[in-house]
Amino acid sequence: MRRSLQLSLLIALLLQGVALADSPAELGRRLFYDIRLSGDGTRSCADCHDPEQGFSKQFDAGGALQRLSVGYTGSRYFRNAPTLINSHNKQGDEPVLWGWDGRMRGTLTDAIALHLESPRIMNMDPLLLRERMKQDVRYVELCQVLFDDECRHKYTVQSLAAFIATLNTLETPFDSRAPSLSEKRGKILFEGKAGCSGCHSGPLFSDQRPHNTGVPENPEVFSDPQRHLSYRSMLVEAGIDNADEWYRDIGYFAVSGNVEDLGKFVTPTLRELRYTAPYMHNGVFESLAEVIDFYDSGSDVLQALGLSSQEKLDLIAFLESLSSVDPVAVQIDKVSPDYLPMEDWLDRPN
Amino acid sequence: MHKRFDVRSLTLGIILLAPMPVWAAGDPDVDPPLAELGAVPVPADNPITPDKVELGRLLFFDTKLSGDASVSCSQCHDPKQGWATNEPICRGYPGAVTWRNCPTAINSGHLDRLFRHGAAGSLEEQAVTAATGSVEGSGDLLVMEQRLWQTPEYVERFRKVFGTDKPRIEDAWRAIAAFERAVLSGIRTPLDEYLAGDASALSDQAVRGMGLFLGKANCIECHNGPLLTDQKNYNLGVPRPPEFAEFGVNTVTFRFMLATNDVPEEYYRSFKDDPGVYLVTREIGDAGKFRTAPLRYLLDTAPYMHAGQFYTLEEVVDFYDKGGGENEFTQRFGNKTPILRPLGLSASERADLVRFLEEISGDGVQMVTPIVPSYQTGDQHDD
Repeated sequence: MRRSLQLSLLIALLLQGVALADSPAELGRRLFYDIRLSGDGTRSCADCHDPEQGFSKQFDAGGALQRLSVGYTGSRYFRNAPTLINSHNKQGDEPVLWGWDGRMRGTLTDAIALHLESPRIMNMDPLLLRERMKQDVRYVELCQVLFDDECRHKYTVQSLAAFIATLNTLETPFDSRAPSLSEKRGKILFEGKAGCSGCHSGPLFSDQRPHNTGVPENPEVFSDPQRHLSYRSMLVEAGIDNADEWYRDIGYFAVSGNVEDLGKFVTPTLRELRYTAPYMHNGVFESLAEVIDFYDSGSDVLQALGLSSQEKLDLIAFLESLSSVDPVAVQIDKVSPDYLPMEDWLDRPN
Repeated sequence: MHKRFDVRSLTLGIILLAPMPVWAAGDPDVDPPLAELGAVPVPADNPITPDKVELGRLLFFDTKLSGDASVSCSQCHDPKQGWATNEPICRGYPGAVTWRNCPTAINSGHLDRLFRHGAAGSLEEQAVTAATGSVEGSGDLLVMEQRLWQTPEYVERFRKVFGTDKPRIEDAWRAIAAFERAVLSGIRTPLDEYLAGDASALSDQAVRGMGLFLGKANCIECHNGPLLTDQKNYNLGVPRPPEFAEFGVNTVTFRFMLATNDVPEEYYRSFKDDPGVYLVTREIGDAGKFRTAPLRYLLDTAPYMHAGQFYTLEEVVDFYDKGGGENEFTQRFGNKTPILRPLGLSASERADLVRFLEEISGDGVQMVTPIVPSYQTGDQHDD
């Protein structure tokens, strides 16, 4: 596992150095920054998965902590924006669960398509997006070069997936050097007394399955009318009865309909934690110290751990060693949202 | 035509006049006379009540019924712009544009079908189609319904009107339709007063214009009955709106509308103009046809034609005087209506016609924009 991850890191490093000219990833990078991918032209992927904030969202434009993702205009979102780094590695044997509650299933490409169409995220009609791309000279050129075809929605989502596949954890202390004593102690706690590795397993430190750890609710989901109505509309869409009676986030229950799945959320990766605060599905914890304190104190469903102050610091040291030394960075693209006329439009097929 | 019409013999006069014109050979029907606007038809499953009408009025002005909560019915059917918009092609949803001129909501309750190509069979259907269309309201039904749930005043009003615990989105369209029928329809104009016997309701010049309307200009061939429309579809050869080619965002919408209406590949590739009624009937001979526009309320609803191709009534009258025009579909499918032939109107005759059309517009329907109800915030809920 370590070895294969190191290999992918090497490839990622190589990719960073090589221009992505005229690759699907390059097309995807441009799409990633293009606000025309949202129905009303107000949001790009980068607005919630900010390349300067660990491809998640830590702070809003005013510098305030952003616990809950902004979502589509008029339908503010009810969960934290997770990082996209390493997310392409989630593609495994079982149907991969996307979204904190795992309600999106399938490949990364499927998940991207669902994000675009969700009225709470991008509210984008795929046909309208295709026609928008066909009006943009650069997209037309890239589709022609890469796919020998005109722009189609399948190329849009494939290219976004190709771009996201370039977002890999770079050199981390954990992967590239001997651990410090504190990190070493933290790893032992992680796998032993603290019991983290029961769920946070594998190279991404996630079993990718839903679990309930009793994370407290973020009251803003229910006090902010836009977030609340957006949350309820998701529940109704999922076929949940009496959606207005839930004043808690029901998580995977919305997918399975089994009561024992209430409050379960898919285990997040622990890579890139240094760049992806605040934490948990609803961003209730601002720092790793708060997260460790939560697990140490236990909850309705978790036993208290009884960690000492030093043990907590050791765990944090270990967790921080899982993040890239330097943040994963990509070239920023400024994409003009304007549509230009086509000189010869009347004389050629649409 | 030197003296005023005797109102009492007007109906008889029309019956005599209407079948006469030789250019109507392809259309031998007896055209209904101009008539007073009657009561608006009310569907049995959506009766009008005062509470429903008031609810519909609020919803008509409420941006919650759109994708990003920024667009209301009243944005495109603006009371200050004749319950339409005075731009050639209606702006529609942010980040997009529509592909037609917004028709006025005034007297829309009298029409058998809505949209200029007749895609909706009722005002209720029109409302949901516009609110969810990707370049119009772009609303999601579930999200919009939850916005209503989140609004205590709406919960109460829907309960009172429809007897539901929680608002149902389909009832929103019913309420809006009831408002449009009760308040925006049945709008009388000086034409109604004139036809009812008040000879002073129209000026001498307008009466001369009416004579031309019924006679030499043969407008009555299609613009007949109480709404001044036969509600049939014609291709007049109105030119392609220049916006489709000149502005990228319009080109995007143009192709999108073909694609979302699932036209065959051949036509998706080749059409450069709005195929109109073809989108409903799939009969290629209907390409470029649009329903005859009602002529009440013209003064407040410039520009004219399905994509606002003409800014003034003078331009419209000139177009007909020249016998209409040609467009992609008349040229490709030979379906220009044979009703249109050059009219040979003099300048003063054209002015008389315009005067008639202006005077039958009547006063604008004014309405103050209501303050719409607000969301309940979480700290108000009762558990």
